[in-house]
Amino acid sequence: MRILFLYVALLLTSIVIKAQTTFNINGPANNTLNYIAYTHAIVYVNANSVLNDATIVVKQGKIERITAQGAVPKNAIEVNLKGKVVYPSFIDLYSNYGIDVPSFNKNKNNGEQFNSNKAGAFAWNEAIKPEINAAQYFNYNHQDAIALRTMGIGAVITGNQDGILRGTTALVTTANDEPHYTIVGNNITSSFSFNKGNSPQPYPSSLMGSIALIRQTYYDAKWYVAQQKEKNLSLEAFVNLSNLPVIFDAGNKQNVLRAAAIAKEFNAKYIIKTNGDEYQRVQEIKQTNLPLIVPVNFPKPYKINTAFDAELISTSDLKHWELAPANLYFLWKNKIKFCITAQGSKEGDFLNNIRKAVKYGLPKQEAIKALTENPASFINANNLGDLKDGKIANFIICDGDLFDDETSIMGIVIQGKSHKTNNTPDVVLANEYKINSNITLYLKKNIATINNDTFKLKASYHAGIANFILDGKTLINYTANATIIDSAQYPYNIKELSGFARLSNQTIENWVAIVASNQNKKQESKDSVTILSDSLIWYPFNDFGNNILPQAKKVHFKNATIWTNEQQGILTQTDVIITNGKITAIGKQLPCSDCEIIDATGKHLTNGIIDEHSHIAITHGVNEGTQAVTSEVRIGDAVNADDINIYRQLAGGVIAAQLLHGSANPIGGQSALIKLRWGASPDKMKIENAAKYIKFALGENVKQANWGDGATTRYPQTRMGVEQVFIDAFTRAREYERKLKTDKTLRKDLELDALVEILNSNRFITCHSYVQSEINMLMHVADTFGFKVNTFTHILEGYKVADKMKKHGVNASTFADWWAYKYEVIDAIPQNAAILNRMGVTVAINSDDAEMGRRLNHEAAKIVKYGKITEEEAWKMVTLNPAKMLRIDSRTGSIKQGKDADIVLWNNNPLSIYAKPEMTFVDGICYYSTQTDELLRKQVAATRARLISNILQAQKNGADTQTQISEQEPNYHCND
Amino acid sequence: MELIHKLKSQNKNLITIAMIKRTYFILIIFFVLAFASEAQQIPIIIKGATVHIGNGKTINNAYVAFDSGKIVFVDSIMRNSYKNARIIDATGKHVYPGLFLLNTFLGLNEIDAIRSTRDYNEVGEINPNVRSLIAYNTDSRVVPTAKFNGITYMQVVPQGGLVSGTSCIVKTEAMNWEDAVINEDGIHINWPEINHYAKDPKEQQKYLTEQQAKLITFFAEAKQYQFKLDNHETNLRLQAMQDLFKQRKILYVHANSAKGILEAMQFIKQHQPIKATLVTGSDAHLVADEIKQSNIPVIVNLIHSLPNRNHHDVDQPYKTAAQLFNKGILVSIGFSGSWESRNVMYTAGTCAAYGISSEQALQLITENAAKITGNEKSTGTIEVDKNATLIITEGDVLNMKESILIHAFINGVECNLENTQTELYKKYSKRYGIEAK
Repeated sequence: MRILFLYVALLLTSIVIKAQTTFNINGPANNTLNYIAYTHAIVYVNANSVLNDATIVVKQGKIERITAQGAVPKNAIEVNLKGKVVYPSFIDLYSNYGIDVPSFNKNKNNGEQFNSNKAGAFAWNEAIKPEINAAQYFNYNHQDAIALRTMGIGAVITGNQDGILRGTTALVTTANDEPHYTIVGNNITSSFSFNKGNSPQPYPSSLMGSIALIRQTYYDAKWYVAQQKEKNLSLEAFVNLSNLPVIFDAGNKQNVLRAAAIAKEFNAKYIIKTNGDEYQRVQEIKQTNLPLIVPVNFPKPYKINTAFDAELISTSDLKHWELAPANLYFLWKNKIKFCITAQGSKEGDFLNNIRKAVKYGLPKQEAIKALTENPASFINANNLGDLKDGKIANFIICDGDLFDDETSIMGIVIQGKSHKTNNTPDVVLANEYKINSNITLYLKKNIATINNDTFKLKASYHAGIANFILDGKTLINYTANATIIDSAQYPYNIKELSGFARLSNQTIENWVAIVASNQNKKQESKDSVTILSDSLIWYPFNDFGNNILPQAKKVHFKNATIWTNEQQGILTQTDVIITNGKITAIGKQLPCSDCEIIDATGKHLTNGIIDEHSHIAITHGVNEGTQAVTSEVRIGDAVNADDINIYRQLAGGVIAAQLLHGSANPIGGQSALIKLRWGASPDKMKIENAAKYIKFALGENVKQANWGDGATTRYPQTRMGVEQVFIDAFTRAREYERKLKTDKTLRKDLELDALVEILNSNRFITCHSYVQSEINMLMHVADTFGFKVNTFTHILEGYKVADKMKKHGVNASTFADWWAYKYEVIDAIPQNAAILNRMGVTVAINSDDAEMGRRLNHEAAKIVKYGKITEEEAWKMVTLNPAKMLRIDSRTGSIKQGKDADIVLWNNNPLSIYAKPEMTFVDGICYYSTQTDELLRKQVAATRARLISNILQAQKNGADTQTQISEQEPNYHCND
Repeated sequence: MELIHKLKSQNKNLITIAMIKRTYFILIIFFVLAFASEAQQIPIIIKGATVHIGNGKTINNAYVAFDSGKIVFVDSIMRNSYKNARIIDATGKHVYPGLFLLNTFLGLNEIDAIRSTRDYNEVGEINPNVRSLIAYNTDSRVVPTAKFNGITYMQVVPQGGLVSGTSCIVKTEAMNWEDAVINEDGIHINWPEINHYAKDPKEQQKYLTEQQAKLITFFAEAKQYQFKLDNHETNLRLQAMQDLFKQRKILYVHANSAKGILEAMQFIKQHQPIKATLVTGSDAHLVADEIKQSNIPVIVNLIHSLPNRNHHDVDQPYKTAAQLFNKGILVSIGFSGSWESRNVMYTAGTCAAYGISSEQALQLITENAAKITGNEKSTGTIEVDKNATLIITEGDVLNMKESILIHAFINGVECNLENTQTELYKKYSKRYGIEAK
């Protein structure tokens, strides 16, 4: 009994156990031995080895010895854990537990804040704060500590979670103690993200801007080491910590790949925090070979009361509900290293969701590893993660196997100190008690459940007496007390309950309930494991995705009308054969023995449409419009392979697009040229070895004319200033290039690098432009610096300077009939394309709009209407001409032997309003056909029906639900 | 204004009589000129064209004659001859009724980005009393580009709020709004609906409930207002609503989501008797049967849109109007927008590619549009006694590449198809010495 009460005391009080301190001691010293032996426990030393009837001797916060049937040192306190199971406590690598970083600044300026307001010699951008040392801002936080301990988490990597470069993290325990004792180590990792957080500076506003800023900071750090001019505490911190692993809060699966690309570029060691959807791109993530920190916050069944509620939930959200619990299984199956974080999970859901993951195929040992050994090894914490002699005594005490639904984490020992969890019961009640009384009891459900003459109680414990309030079925004011009769081991087991009932007539009646005989029966019936097939995963993970990506086939199109875009013009009744992704033969009645034959009689076969100006398939921001010059940002970093508009555009006969930066600043970002390979990863979308492009812009957008009266401080505000921005940028670029040749320590400047490429004709400009003065101006600037503008896009007043454009050799990529949406397009005319074409300028018709992008054949047809050009010429404006502008015309843009099989089969003249693509091939692969579309529609409908019915079933079974209105991808335009 | 309007319609009756009694012809012409800015001077006969009536039917190699602003015959043989008639040989060409552009704010907006040229959205949530007609800009530089494509009538609609205002049907060629007006057809309300992008579903639901309550209350007050006594104070908003309950105006309810459409139809039902039309989007297919049952006509807005949701068929917006049409619902199409609304005929063309015939698609922007706005007696088809508002094109007006206008007539008067765009085209073609085809 002595031992027992001591343990209770251990549980309930916070003992200060310090051998030696730097603190001033007020009064007599109160040092204790801090020597405890936990006996008779089942101990998981690590995920794979178990000791039965083990003794863990803990001294001064460390495990002194751990052995099976080990003896209790004579001066140690014994705590009997018979029937209990002990695991190493969990380690969470993604937390901001106990961190409180004061935020320094608000934007005090009128207008945009271009530089940091943080006082001191720190980075120019407030989202860059590697100088933050988490340990300096760490304190014990009781509320959060209890939540973590209840989840079984004994140690966390904690740090500032605001900004892009967030500083270093500390490894701390969740023990109730001064930080002096709970900080196990500081400067354990660095911490990065793509999210600029609370920084009041507008830059970076986009994902690609965040990526550019991180990359530039790496280069700045390199430069910093070699220079002596500048003291920069942020860069200094970055340099000093460059050998630490980086915990990168990336987020979704595509961001995981983006973070991994940075790691690769700088040969850095990243541990990537994900959002639990990695199964959707598991192969690509596997190839990164980086360890992951994975949350288990699986979505709850969505609340669906009517068909209209269901309509608001996207198929990918429905599918994620089904597949999210299997995420860890898919990661394990693919041999990806991962650990688990409680981030995003509610205290009560965390363990249940881990159990759910186990029910979805994650082996138990792997789950334990992901909570203990793996995180420890990712951060090289050799003193944590398993239970071995000499390690920090961090373990949890469970009343059963961790993965049984009934099991609770009853206590947690952290640094040798016992702590309660919210699940720590004061007393343990048996499953059932038999009432030894003739009173019929009716108990409130939240207190007890009744089964005939037995009942089951939940209790609260005060001073040795458990109090219950019982509602009598026929009695009122029925209260009862239960007393603890026997307790030989921790925690107290209550074998008999007794009490009295106050009846409605105010008489009191005693009652006794004893444990029903079969109290210790444990439900052995394990939940069966559900293995979800990876055939449920669609690529991309969106409607109309495929589980198995289509392959290139050998196809023979027979008897088609071929719009060659070559000298032969339009050929009737002609065959085309495609093999291995290329056009291999064109001619009449071609032979082919092993081809798939497509009867194209009465149909039109063309090269697919190429959209010179598109903003589809871009993640989080098409503009880094926060500075006048942002040539360092790259759309290629933000390609979104999941965008449904890729599929929709295939259905409109589009095969390739230039994804352009927006037009919010004079020098925008670098373009990405993609083919619409629906289902491929973002990287595979990009056209191999494509020439490099960049977006420039002129006019109202870049001078912020329509941004409201607040946007009047950024240079330029006039067309005069726009010219100076260009001249200044190219002058700096030229000087930078010259210095690069001599000065090896010169700071690498990603912004100027891109401009140097332009000067050397290694990168080509697509310039958003409207009025003739500015068009003329940019050609002059280019001439002065010795390069050519490649393409004027929009170029709605191109017809006014068509002769000058011809002379400069610039291309025109325009709208068919847009105008009147702002002052600078007041003179736009739908005959613009025709005039430019007649003047010998290469003309394309582009979309700048996800909706119009799928009807570019119709926009080309408008040029026939307004400008009376030939149909062939019009057709080239959406195929061959944009291919020329994008320098991909040697491989695509026309039907010619040897070119890529980027082919569309139309049911009609492609310029007709009645024309529909029947098949769209990219690289000889059929990514869209009316036939497969029909099947995919059925697949989408059937999947939705199945999942909605599953959710309704879960609802019926009483599952907790969440209200869901799925977000849709924004559709970007130039000035977004 | 009302007076002039009545006189004009009397004139129209007189004109019909004049066609029989040719002696009065000259006199009547003078009479008409005294009131309207322009009127048809001589009879016009278009011969040899394929005539698309607007009701689904066509006549090949036909004769269309109109006189004094009215169509006098449409047939495959010459029914009557006029000595002084202008004969237009349109062999191989096509004749269509003048096209309707519904649900636009063209004419209330000149340049999107310039606030001083925007006149479509009044302050406040409930504005039934604001009238688009008096702000309709007959001197717009943008409207003529719509006329250039064959649009002769537009429904000009105020935007925003719960009750946006009163729309009108106008001609696209006119000297002033009194001259332009056909009728002030209805009052537009925007049904409060779930928006995809709002973050918090619960907050959103709360807001919707409040907004719906506002609408319901306002309609209740408006109904009550008809019993207003002389000593009660005047309320312009409530007063403007009285034409709805007297069925002199149409209630246009804009609702896009399936749920919103059902709620809107319920709302309409509760206020019977009332003339109402749904203005809706590509979710309407989800509740097509319910719409059919309700007998409410529909304007399908913005055919050239992306599907409302990722799981919708990629061509859903293209086929929604056809799906409703094929159920037997009275369907027209709209194009809420400004300069871009001039493409409404191509959105009808898309309907023809996705489920109905070209003639049926044409019907959406001619006969059905006239019916929905209450103007079918005088407009919408090329039929005898209707206004001679028609266009002659090189080819299929719904198909961009052939949709080239040669002539357009409104009430028998030939329209000027030149506009700032054609002027600039000619100016610069001349400068370069190239042909402005």
